[in-house]
Amino acid sequence: MYCVRKVTEDLYWVGGNDRRLTLFENIHPIPRGVSYNSYLLLDEKTVLFDTVDWSAGRQFLENIEYVLDGRPLDYLVINHMEPDHGASIEEVLLRYPDVKIISTEKAFMMMHQFNFDIDGHTEEVQEGDTRSFGKHEVTFVAAPMVHWPEAMVTFDLTNGVLFAADAFGSFGSLDGKLFNDEVNFDRDWIDDARRYYTNIVGKYGPHVQALLKKAATIDIKMICPLHGPVWRSDLGYFLDKYDKWSSYEPEEKGVLIVYASMYGNTESAVNLLATKLVERGITNVSMYDVSKTHVSQLISETFRLSHIVLASVTYNLGIYPPMLDYLMDMKALNMQKRTVALIENGSWAPKSGALMEEFLDEMKQMTVLNEKVSVLSSLNEGSALEMDQLVDGLIESINE
Amino acid sequence: MLFKTTEKHEEFRAKIREFAEAELKPIAFMLDQKNEFPEEIVKKLAEMNMMGIPYPKKYGGAGLDIMTYAIAVEELARIDGGTGVILSAHVSLGSYPIYAFGTEEQKKKYLVPLAKGEKLGAFGLTEPNAGSDAGGTETTAVLEGDHYILNGGKIFITNADKADTYVVFAVTTPNIGTRGISAFIVEKGWEGFEFGDHYDKMGIRSSATAELIFNDVKVPKENLLGKEGQGFKIAMATLDGGRIGIASQALGIAQGAFEHAVEYAKEREQFGIPIAHHQINSFKIADMATKLRAARFLVYSSAELKEHHEPYGMESAMAKQYTSDICLEVVNDAVQIFGGTGYLKGMEVERAYRDAKICTIYEGTNEIQRVVIASHIIGKPPKQTGGKLKAKGPITGARKKKIFSEGTNEEKVAALVEALTADGYDFNVGIDPNTPIVEADRVVSAGKGIGDKANMKLIEELAIQAGAAIGSSRPVAETLKYVPLNRYVGMSGQKFNGNLYIACGISGAGQHLKGIKGATTIVAINKNKNAPIFKNADYGIVGDLMEILPLLTKALDNGEPKKPAPPMQKMRKATPKKEAPPWKTYVCSGCGYEYDPAVGDPEGDVSPGTLFDALPEEWICPDCGEEKDKFIEG
Repeated sequence: MYCVRKVTEDLYWVGGNDRRLTLFENIHPIPRGVSYNSYLLLDEKTVLFDTVDWSAGRQFLENIEYVLDGRPLDYLVINHMEPDHGASIEEVLLRYPDVKIISTEKAFMMMHQFNFDIDGHTEEVQEGDTRSFGKHEVTFVAAPMVHWPEAMVTFDLTNGVLFAADAFGSFGSLDGKLFNDEVNFDRDWIDDARRYYTNIVGKYGPHVQALLKKAATIDIKMICPLHGPVWRSDLGYFLDKYDKWSSYEPEEKGVLIVYASMYGNTESAVNLLATKLVERGITNVSMYDVSKTHVSQLISETFRLSHIVLASVTYNLGIYPPMLDYLMDMKALNMQKRTVALIENGSWAPKSGALMEEFLDEMKQMTVLNEKVSVLSSLNEGSALEMDQLVDGLIESINE
Repeated sequence: MLFKTTEKHEEFRAKIREFAEAELKPIAFMLDQKNEFPEEIVKKLAEMNMMGIPYPKKYGGAGLDIMTYAIAVEELARIDGGTGVILSAHVSLGSYPIYAFGTEEQKKKYLVPLAKGEKLGAFGLTEPNAGSDAGGTETTAVLEGDHYILNGGKIFITNADKADTYVVFAVTTPNIGTRGISAFIVEKGWEGFEFGDHYDKMGIRSSATAELIFNDVKVPKENLLGKEGQGFKIAMATLDGGRIGIASQALGIAQGAFEHAVEYAKEREQFGIPIAHHQINSFKIADMATKLRAARFLVYSSAELKEHHEPYGMESAMAKQYTSDICLEVVNDAVQIFGGTGYLKGMEVERAYRDAKICTIYEGTNEIQRVVIASHIIGKPPKQTGGKLKAKGPITGARKKKIFSEGTNEEKVAALVEALTADGYDFNVGIDPNTPIVEADRVVSAGKGIGDKANMKLIEELAIQAGAAIGSSRPVAETLKYVPLNRYVGMSGQKFNGNLYIACGISGAGQHLKGIKGATTIVAINKNKNAPIFKNADYGIVGDLMEILPLLTKALDNGEPKKPAPPMQKMRKATPKKEAPPWKTYVCSGCGYEYDPAVGDPEGDVSPGTLFDALPEEWICPDCGEEKDKFIEG
């Protein structure tokens, strides 16, 4: 049975939701599920914008069939070839043998790599090319490395709709709601949107910035991403988030405490730290156990906040493995411009602090506070004094 | 040449030898004794058309060959090593880079008067931290509108301060090593371009050698020689040729000493016969002559290679290295033949003995010459992989660098005092101004900017009100002697590890800065906004000491004597934000690979320090093969 929604007068959402998938890209937990958005335009020609993951394939095909209502499918625009959007291309080809696929050179190369039989169906476009489908004229804008090299976005010059590929997407299934004004985005969605952006696209800030610069030159009325709600109001809110994330500027002044504790002693040290911070007026404090929190959540919080405290035990003379994993993820995602305070613990040779500092030094513009706390097994008077100094340093830095 | 100089060369030699013997010889000892530059001789050399021998007539030169030039240096050095190097530094170092790399306008404006001998040239590459390794160059040139603003200094500069035109090397792109160096033509007399004291040298005392000091010197954009970043290449190409000059100088010094030794050995009789016929001496003379002949061939043949535009870098390095090495042996033997007489001032061989030594040191030490020769034979050593350039931060570590520039001097001083008080400094307490530097909690230090000795009063008064001991930079203690030697702060002096350091009129030489690394807070007061001290300070005021110091003294004065300070406690040092490196990274649009100049591209044989712009057009992404134009700024 079909399940579609009208986006504008002649544009329909024909995607699907997946609430059974545990890990997106087989790595990021998605407890709220995910939507795979696809859009179908009914003009003089019929145009499908992207397809869906194979898990939502049946729903998607039923949706297309229903909206087309017997008309042939003329065009399939592929903005992004990653299989969560491209997997159903072959099935669309089988069902609509006359369809022409409009996409980039690199996307076609990938379709060949995935063994899709597209020969005779391809229309290659480049940045600035336009196509008219009747009433609607669209233009194609290259979006390389947002977050794959073949990606483009398509802008409908007639009604101001931007088919944004993976840009402006979010984790979370739609649950009947399609538009940003049908949900409380800032309450229910922003965390998943941030976790999606930072973990999937986070590394490619310069390319997102390049895309945002191009976007600033066109009059966008509506953003149709490939995941999550369609944006038809308050676009500035989301564009501002994207600008911050892609320039690696924190959204908020506040402290993220990530700790690695084997027997609770490091945890109790950061409890004291958090308490002192809040007592002194820094209430925007978030605290996570690195062993129990998925790294995608930690990354998301790292993008959000201005200051980070890393508290780690020393493990086999190194950094505690989950903490190292988090650090490596940060580096891989190009995390930069944060101020970091370090707390180390060790019972015979504490060195995780020095090692974390060394690691952070290899990243970009990561300021490590001079004040450091070195705990020998458990906090004592000496290390508590260091903790006070670390609090002083953090507060001075936050209030700068 | 076919192993013999031409008649023309020998005619030329006779001419310059006659001049040197007639005009230079009588005054050479006096020049050496008085450390005096032979102004008249240089003037006459210009009249004889000797100052631009190898340059075309259309640029004011004599249009003769390199060999003729080598002979000229040799013949002058045969009489006086110092005069030899005046000509060599002028022709090879001061003029050649303009001839080889200058634009037509630059040649007309600068090369013509140099080659005619109307102007004297010099070359400024060496710095305290950039000797054999030019990558350590610290003099900077920052483009501001139509001018480069030059700041820094050069040491051991031959012909300074006599020269009118200086080819100076400065960093235009910091932290990428030799690729960030550019060459500039700088004129004597430009504002901010000053000379340090003359060096008191062991030998070549008739040549002038001094420091160059650049304080905000405005160099017109059109005085950039070559392109930005080509400085190192220009310097190396110049030194390739310069070696012929120094080799000729060494050859001349050795030749002169040899002739004196032979003459003396034939006259001096011991055991009934001239000592020349004692076999020990005859063999010595034979060896000296053999070495001289070998050296001469090396020198002349490299001159000839250069003249014919054949590769000559290795050959000129061999000539310079070998000739200066044997020069030392020859002058040593010459003094030995003279015996006690040769050890006396006024004897030519005594002067030659001292003059000779510099030839194995300058314009590329003989150790570096061997590096050059070896690299021509066996290539450069394999590239170090995995190396990463680190942006060099300030010597004193990361600092706040807050410069108070708003408002009147009173307001600037008030802002400074406010910031220091907020940091926890209590100016109701103080220490004895004579507390040893290493034990002091606070130090007020005077640099050369303090001027007259009478102004030290301002420092003393400020020290009392700041509750600080008195310190100074090295020249203030060593040269000016305003304070005892044990009060100068620096790597070679006293190290300051206390809390507050107020540097007054100190520009911030590397060795001074190294001595205050441990300071919690550094305050700089200097009239020159580009003084390195400001990059190494937490707080700064740009202004005249005569105005700022009394204001600061007054602001810190609570009207009462300072209470004795409690035992020093090291204060908490704020963490300045880590800065972005001075270079840009570029990201591939085909895969997200990031090109970082600090790393280079080891697979593509691109060494660390190569800026993205400097990558060859055919360079491709090492990860996905995308072309260079598919990269965007990171």
